[in-house]
Amino acid sequence: MKILIIEDEKELSKSIVAYLKAEAYSCEVAGDFKTAMEKTESFEYDCILLDISLPDGNGLQVLKELKANHKTDGVIIISAHDSMDDRIAGLNLGADDYLPKPFHLPELSARIAAVIRRRRFDGSAIFTLNEFRFDTVAKTVAVHNKPVDLTRTEYDLLLYLVTNKNKVVSKNAIAERISGEEAEIFNNFDFIYAHIKNLKKKLAAAGSEDYIKAIYGMGYKFEI
Amino acid sequence: MRLLKKTITSYFIFSAILLLVAIPIFYYAVKKMMIKSVDENLMATKTRILPQLNNAAINHTEQSLHLSDYEILFVKEEPNNKGDSIDDIEISGVNANASVPGRLLSSHFVINQESYSLQIKTSMLDKFLLLKRIVLVSVILLVVLLLGLLLINRALTRKIWQPFYRTLNRLHEYRVDKQPSLILEQSSVSEFNDLNKAIQELTERNYQAYASQKEFTENASHEMQSPLAVFQSKLELLMQTKPLNEEQAVLIADLANASKRMSRLNKSLILLTKIENNQFLEKESLSVKDMLQKLLQQYEFQIKQQSIQCTLKIETGIVVEANRTLIEILLGNLLSNAIRHNLPGGSIEIALYEKELVVQNSGKPSSLEKQKLFQRFQKESRDESSIGLGLEIVKKICDLNHYSIHYSFNNQMHIFALHF
Repeated sequence: MKILIIEDEKELSKSIVAYLKAEAYSCEVAGDFKTAMEKTESFEYDCILLDISLPDGNGLQVLKELKANHKTDGVIIISAHDSMDDRIAGLNLGADDYLPKPFHLPELSARIAAVIRRRRFDGSAIFTLNEFRFDTVAKTVAVHNKPVDLTRTEYDLLLYLVTNKNKVVSKNAIAERISGEEAEIFNNFDFIYAHIKNLKKKLAAAGSEDYIKAIYGMGYKFEI
Repeated sequence: MRLLKKTITSYFIFSAILLLVAIPIFYYAVKKMMIKSVDENLMATKTRILPQLNNAAINHTEQSLHLSDYEILFVKEEPNNKGDSIDDIEISGVNANASVPGRLLSSHFVINQESYSLQIKTSMLDKFLLLKRIVLVSVILLVVLLLGLLLINRALTRKIWQPFYRTLNRLHEYRVDKQPSLILEQSSVSEFNDLNKAIQELTERNYQAYASQKEFTENASHEMQSPLAVFQSKLELLMQTKPLNEEQAVLIADLANASKRMSRLNKSLILLTKIENNQFLEKESLSVKDMLQKLLQQYEFQIKQQSIQCTLKIETGIVVEANRTLIEILLGNLLSNAIRHNLPGGSIEIALYEKELVVQNSGKPSSLEKQKLFQRFQKESRDESSIGLGLEIVKKICDLNHYSIHYSFNNQMHIFALHF
């Protein structure tokens, strides 16, 4: 799957490439508006990460061109200016998602996966991994074809870890994923531990292997 | 005291004193002059009737002496050495109980070795009536004159100071964050022009300082986003490196927390600048009750974890017209503060009235510093999750929506009262 990263901050695009490399993604980078236009005109990508503020142009222009040429590349806007206006403008122009900087790489990876899933399966978004079968529309998961009764948060957490499989996902990233802003207000990760514990218990009861590992005090990993 | 009132008061006091002092003086002066003239008349009359008196004494016809306007009494008396004297008397008039003031000239003569006493009385009634009228007319004139002067002065002052008041009003309305500088109109008084010019320059300088400060915060926080994003992404890559021992993992986790704090701080600063720039324009009707309930639900875990007793009392579910994001932040900050700065096993009482939201929480056993509470980076706790911008954001949102917020400490409870 091809991903284009339009981002002028070299170090950031390097990080993204490094993180996504392990997944089956092939990444290309465009550091400025001109390169971005050339690449989007000539090739098709499964997902484009688009920074709005580029040194020689506005990222939204790239998006406009894409839509004008009826291209169907998925687009996630990554912006330093987290403003409602940018968000609305981007989404109105047909972007699939919007992620304000600074973001967690696991979060980016999850969003990319979601965009690609939406475009690929066109609704019947079911994928399997070992004994798991995820239905990302119904938001259910089955182990050995037996549905597991997970709360919404537990499901989100599992899917998040699975999309970032074999990678350490930091507690901060998990906290932000499952409780959004609230995670920022209280510097308290106990609730993550509680959710993980419940999730592991339910999966074990459903007969799944214990894939979720705590990595010291840093975070969790879905190891497969 | 208002300028106009002050000048007018001075005038008024002066006029009052003048009237109070001048009227009696005037009255007594005129009265004295009148008495003097009456006395002179009496003396003149005496001199004029002297030959008649002589005749009367010689012919023993004292009783038949008559003078128009005067009452005369010419009688023999025991010899004495008294001279002429003039005194005040009361003359009993036609009406027995009413008497009128008068003057009496008593004189003594010796005619043909016999002593005579002469008394000439004259009534002062007419004179005093005249005096009263003169004084009355003068008082009326004086009062009218002074009142007129006062009014003219007042009108004039008002007119002259009008540009000053206009400037003052404009200054009252002036907000450095709303308009660049104050453009004031020309006045015909050069002092006011100078004042206006000085104010104009002052507001311009003020605005420039404000703008550059704002720009700095804006740029600084925006420019910080990119390195922060890089830092965070590198940390997350570092987490994936192998082999990774526990020591390194703990260090990385600490770094990640520091990075999170930095990005929170930065986000809050950006939020503050946005509020100051008035970038939250969209307004909608919001039910405070619903929002409170939703927030409490979100914070449920934290509340339970600290075993906090939380009560929500809703008298009326009020609806405010405001920006959703801002009100969410406002209520969220108030509630999360009440949770964060609470004691384990403490309590939170939230009460929503028709125009007021009161959030009370137990916590530190002493009052917080009211002066500094709503200022930037005034941290009360050493809690890591506190960045010291929460209440400033609360204050800014209140200011923007014209709400007022007050803090008090009562009965071991920290109370924040938000008046919509």
